[in-house]
Amino acid sequence: MAKKQLYWKGEDELLRTKEFLASQKSEFNEPLPLDEVFSENNLGLSGNRRDFLKFFGFSVAAVSLAACNSTPVRNAVPYLVKPEEITPGVANYYNSTCGACSTGCGVTVKTREGRPIKVDGNVNSPVSGGGLCATGQASILSLYDTERLDSPAKVSGKAIAKTDWATVDGEIGKQLADIQAAGGRIAIISGTIHSPSSLAVINDFKTKFTNTSHITYDAVSYSGILLANRDSFGRQVIPSYKFDKANVIVSFGADFLGTWISPVEYMRAWSAKRKVEGASKIARTFVFESNLSLTGSNADYRFPMKSSFEAVYVTSLYNALAKKAGVAELPMAKSGELAGNAISKSADALWNEKGNSLVVSGSNDPKIQSVINGINIMLGNYGNTIDLDNYSNQFKGIDQDMAQFANDLNSGVYQAVIFWGANPVYSSPLASTIESALKKTRLSISFAGTADETALHCQYIAPDHHYLESWGDAEPKAGVFQLMQPTISPVFNTRQAQESLLTWAGLVTKPEKDPLANKGIYNQKASASPYYLYIKGKWAAMGVSGDEAFNKALHDGVHVAPSKASTIPAMGLVMSSLVSDLEKTVGKKEDIDLVLYQNVAVKDGSLSNNPWLQETPDPISKVTWDNYVSLPKALAESKGISMGDTVNITVGKITLKDMPVVVQPGQSNGTVGLAVGYGRKGKYGEKGEFDKIGQNAYPFLSMQNGTYNYVINGVKLEKASAKYELAQTQTHHTIEGRDIVRETVFEDYKQNPKSGNDKPAPHLYTLWETKEYKKEGAPNHHWAMAIDLNACTGCSACIVSCHIENNVPVVGRAEVRRRREMHWLRIDRYYTFENRKGTDYKAELFLERDFEGKKVTKETGLKAMDKIESENKNADYLHWENVKVVHQPMMCQHCGQAPCETVCPVLATTHSTEGLNQQTYNRCIGTKYCANNCPYKVRRFNWFRYNDSDRFDFHFNNDLGKMVINPDVTVRTRGVMEKCSMCVQSIQAGKIKAKRERRKLTDGEVKTACQRACPANAIVFGDVNDENSEVYKLFRNERSYRVLEELNTQTAVKYLLKVRDIDKKDLI
Amino acid sequence: MIHDSIIRTPLVTGDKTLHDVTTEICRPIENKPTTEWKVGFTLSAIFFGILALTLTLTMVIGIGTWGLNKTVQWGWDITNFVFWVGIGHAGTLISAILLLFRQKWRMSINRSAEAMTIFAVMCAAIFPLFHQGRLWVGMYWVLPLPNAFGSLWVNFHSPLLWDVFAISTYFSVSLVFWYLGLIPDIATVRDRAKTAGRKFWYNFFSMGWTGSVRTWNRYEVVSLVLAGISTPLVLSVHTIVSMDFATSVVPGWHTTIFPPYFVAGAIFSGFGMVLTLLVIARKVMNYQDYITIGHLEAMCKVVMLTGTMVGLAYITEFFVAAYSGVEYEQYAFINRATGPYWWAYWSMMTCNLIAPQVFWFKWARTTPWFIFMLSIVVNVGMWFERFVIIVTSLHREYLPSGWVMYSPTIMEIGIFLGTFGLFFTCFFLFAKFLPVINMSEVKSILKNRE
Repeated sequence: MAKKQLYWKGEDELLRTKEFLASQKSEFNEPLPLDEVFSENNLGLSGNRRDFLKFFGFSVAAVSLAACNSTPVRNAVPYLVKPEEITPGVANYYNSTCGACSTGCGVTVKTREGRPIKVDGNVNSPVSGGGLCATGQASILSLYDTERLDSPAKVSGKAIAKTDWATVDGEIGKQLADIQAAGGRIAIISGTIHSPSSLAVINDFKTKFTNTSHITYDAVSYSGILLANRDSFGRQVIPSYKFDKANVIVSFGADFLGTWISPVEYMRAWSAKRKVEGASKIARTFVFESNLSLTGSNADYRFPMKSSFEAVYVTSLYNALAKKAGVAELPMAKSGELAGNAISKSADALWNEKGNSLVVSGSNDPKIQSVINGINIMLGNYGNTIDLDNYSNQFKGIDQDMAQFANDLNSGVYQAVIFWGANPVYSSPLASTIESALKKTRLSISFAGTADETALHCQYIAPDHHYLESWGDAEPKAGVFQLMQPTISPVFNTRQAQESLLTWAGLVTKPEKDPLANKGIYNQKASASPYYLYIKGKWAAMGVSGDEAFNKALHDGVHVAPSKASTIPAMGLVMSSLVSDLEKTVGKKEDIDLVLYQNVAVKDGSLSNNPWLQETPDPISKVTWDNYVSLPKALAESKGISMGDTVNITVGKITLKDMPVVVQPGQSNGTVGLAVGYGRKGKYGEKGEFDKIGQNAYPFLSMQNGTYNYVINGVKLEKASAKYELAQTQTHHTIEGRDIVRETVFEDYKQNPKSGNDKPAPHLYTLWETKEYKKEGAPNHHWAMAIDLNACTGCSACIVSCHIENNVPVVGRAEVRRRREMHWLRIDRYYTFENRKGTDYKAELFLERDFEGKKVTKETGLKAMDKIESENKNADYLHWENVKVVHQPMMCQHCGQAPCETVCPVLATTHSTEGLNQQTYNRCIGTKYCANNCPYKVRRFNWFRYNDSDRFDFHFNNDLGKMVINPDVTVRTRGVMEKCSMCVQSIQAGKIKAKRERRKLTDGEVKTACQRACPANAIVFGDVNDENSEVYKLFRNERSYRVLEELNTQTAVKYLLKVRDIDKKDLI
Repeated sequence: MIHDSIIRTPLVTGDKTLHDVTTEICRPIENKPTTEWKVGFTLSAIFFGILALTLTLTMVIGIGTWGLNKTVQWGWDITNFVFWVGIGHAGTLISAILLLFRQKWRMSINRSAEAMTIFAVMCAAIFPLFHQGRLWVGMYWVLPLPNAFGSLWVNFHSPLLWDVFAISTYFSVSLVFWYLGLIPDIATVRDRAKTAGRKFWYNFFSMGWTGSVRTWNRYEVVSLVLAGISTPLVLSVHTIVSMDFATSVVPGWHTTIFPPYFVAGAIFSGFGMVLTLLVIARKVMNYQDYITIGHLEAMCKVVMLTGTMVGLAYITEFFVAAYSGVEYEQYAFINRATGPYWWAYWSMMTCNLIAPQVFWFKWARTTPWFIFMLSIVVNVGMWFERFVIIVTSLHREYLPSGWVMYSPTIMEIGIFLGTFGLFFTCFFLFAKFLPVINMSEVKSILKNRE
């Protein structure tokens, strides 16, 4: 063992001096200078241990106090305690009921991590049947609306003072008690309520406050039908219309595919009846109307009508049928026939299909509706296409009740008034009366979720939940019960209206205060809403008792009671007694009619601050973000008005100034159209795009035969000096004779299913390798889509659905004007004008092919006709009145040989092995060549940063609005191209699910957003490699064709041609 | 070896001696800047500033500041790109092809024409760069660089990628060729320099030129080699630019006539621009003896020839559209002539086909002010040609639902004017610091070399 080597630190150690040994005893060589540190000379601190402890104690206390300040809780860490049903990244679906309007479609709500991100139709619901309209789709954004009230509030003047529920309940409860004690009267003004539990709540409220009246008020009224059925059959209901059973449909201005009563239900039924495969009859549809409506654009025969003469035409039809039936005719002074023998033609068609036909009218006049009832009775349609026994509850408002209420309120009959889902200060023609009367009323309360016009004139706002936060139920049609369930815990400090009413009536004990309520932790027991228990009780009484039954109903969203047998009612009305009232409705021929209508997306205007709806183009005019006066060409020419001009429109004392105009093909001469639902005020539109969206047309309504009349004869129009450019998504309206939309007539189709689709196949060449999707041993999919143009009505639900699903940005009016809307899916609409006068206009060079018989599809041809017409003194521009319309949904066609793919320098757009044309946002550098080279013009460029930008103040730039973003889809940055992906996120989700379950993906399992939304089932997506798939069959259907097939783009989207049920001799 | 006939008009007039050439051409470099130069330079610099401002705004806010839309996604940007690239053509043509063809008259003008080429290509490059949505990645993602992103690579099918190679090759070869020609002249300026700074910088850029026989020999050889390389580039660049359009499916773009038609157009516009510049420069810088009427006349003849060629192409396109039987193609051409942008089409026809026909007359070819006017007309016409091809083809394509109108915003106009600022700023700097005429070559064609 080697000797241990020693090292000395110094001589001292070696010598082991005394000093050295002493210093080794203490740890530190020198004493610590503690005295110096704590001495006054240094830090000014007196240096002893006790002081140190004092300072120490003070510091700890100060830090602790500072830490007591509540820091905002950011729930970025998901789930300390994971709720059983939520897995991050996996969507949950709940069935509920749509609350966007009182139609009450059943919906399926998709939630991700506890927040709803998509609403689709519930397939179980007999009302929606799986489809959902544009309005319903978009209503989800109202949940994340920054304009929602975040607590109850007291209003004084223009100021809204936030308060808490205890204060509101205390004050309102006391006032109500006082009013009750003094024998005062209370009014509840609501939109149509068909929820059994809500009605029960009102009844319970009435038991406490015995002098309560409940008045139903619908912004757009169906009183005419209700009263007519009361008069005719003694039942004040809207019947169920069975469009799927009618071989002939005649509609007088009822836009049943767009906005009339229950459009989703009717569209599904109608398009089912329009199926041509194997059919001997499809619903031949005759439409008489003034404005070119969605239904009119889909009609086989559309007859432009002056709506103030509707009574004349309806009675003429009655008389034509009465003659056939041998019944007494109505002694109307005037009788009328429209061009093209409209009345006799439809009378013949109806008579041939007695019992299987349907006549409807959009008029709100009870007398006209009574004649319609008379016609349907004569045709024996009751019991088959019209069902009064399983009636609809969707609209119940009677105009006269509301008018009576306005007068009563003004004369002080009511001491308290509660507005629930009603906004009469905006939408009632008696708005000013109600507004001033509210000032005098002792107690006024609104349940509005946002400070709307009516709420601003009330004293209290007790904001109701959004329907996606609410418990509820619905009975949209007799015997069809649906549940509504919360899909998110309340975003704000709001409370369900029903709960508020029960609270004020003292019928609910407040649940214990949940200590965790503000921590974002869901506590089921403490959160159980008292109203949930209430509903459960009511449903138990209805027969859905026990947790199991209730949970099944909740799971399905629907509980359908056995329907009653449909009976044939007896007409209890002497028809001739109607004549004098009918004659009063007839307008003057020389006066112009104003026909008010609802836009397909914005509808009655209750969701008019919804950017998705405003950006959805009108299916006909393609105008976004405004309402406008639609003029017939003849009137526009006579007044020297063209697109871009504005008019002042006057009825009586009311004038709307500087209204923009659209010279609308199909608009009947002598009429103009104007949409209600615009021009909202209230708290909406303090800034930004919502500043001014159109003008309010509701004040134009006037009473006629006891109901509000949406057709006003005698409107004055004058050209205004202002100019206004409407934001349209399509500005060229003719198809230029191009083979883009193919169509045929049913007569020909029955002879030859390939008719209209028998063009010889073009010679196709390609530079590139043809792609193979079906390889041996590789079970690849080949995704494809078939779109049935015969089913598509152009309703635009798919546009909104796609918008939501794929996080497509809203760009606003100014950008739409610059033609930069971002819709991945658009619906092209083309007019075909009819050269009714048969004039040969081969005047100009190149025009030889502008006319195919009577059909004019080219702009040059139209201009030539216009020119000749303008030289005519009594120009009526009949060719503008008589137009045929086609709608064609257009999105990325996922070309097998894609022109976009070859031109991208960086391979940002490539082809997948499953036939999808993929856009890789990360790789895109934005040369935009792909968009230029796309023959379908479906690629959309991010011109700006649409998210997080002050320039685009819609929903993408605030934390609340962003909650609706689909986490499965990238939010695109500025400078990249985007386009339809065929919802690749859904395909992936479906594939993963199938893989995890070790099975093949089944057909129909993956659905694109547009397909899910479509009420008409016009869109079918699937795998064409699967020979059993529906899309495979449709790809081999005789009607299928590719758009621009001659370019050899080998698209993965095929269209099925449109079949019109027109007699060949009437074809243009 | 000079084979010029005695009776032929000399290429350089004024009976210059070798020394005259040196002193006269070095004069602007050695003297203080003139007032005209100062004014011109200031104006150009202001427009250059506008360019910087508009490009910055475009980058900060987005291309949304331009007037493009969902259908017309290329507008003034690519119009201006092709316009400037076209202008850039004359330089190489003059220096390379005319060198190979032994066209001695090119010697007085090739330097400025080449400078013009380089500046024009710089202006042109701005547009394809800045029209990208994401310039910050697009600048290098279009290059086939090895990367860490796995299998990401560029798309050799894309004509835009060919463009990247074509333009960058063209720019670098032109720059080298121009610089090579400058070396003997820079050496001359160096030898005459009086201040240390000038001596240093001109010495630096002359790369140690001694003027020995060996250097001259190598210079000549390299010139010839570069001329050989450049010659196909003259044809290739605009051929490839034309393929940006011709390989598409857009009616009006999808035509096989584009490569020759674009090359002819490019030479046409290039000579137009050379004329614009030289008619002024010879006057302002007093170089009438070097850039003679004879030069102008020769260039006018080229303008007339190429103008007629593009005119023929315009008419051929119509014939082919009619003959093809393709309705979209037919509509595209009818729409050009009679659609909403008819004025652009007829401006193009008037300026490019009709106007140059006046050069059949000797007076027109030999009157400088008239030539100047005509050269402007040619420039305008060629700009309209590109506008017509790009915008009127795009704005009405296959599906009428997507048909739109396009108009530029103030931003696009600003960028376009700004590129003129860049161009002239460079040109003024060039005229101040470098010999505008190739002294060494011009000396070789003097009659009087005593």
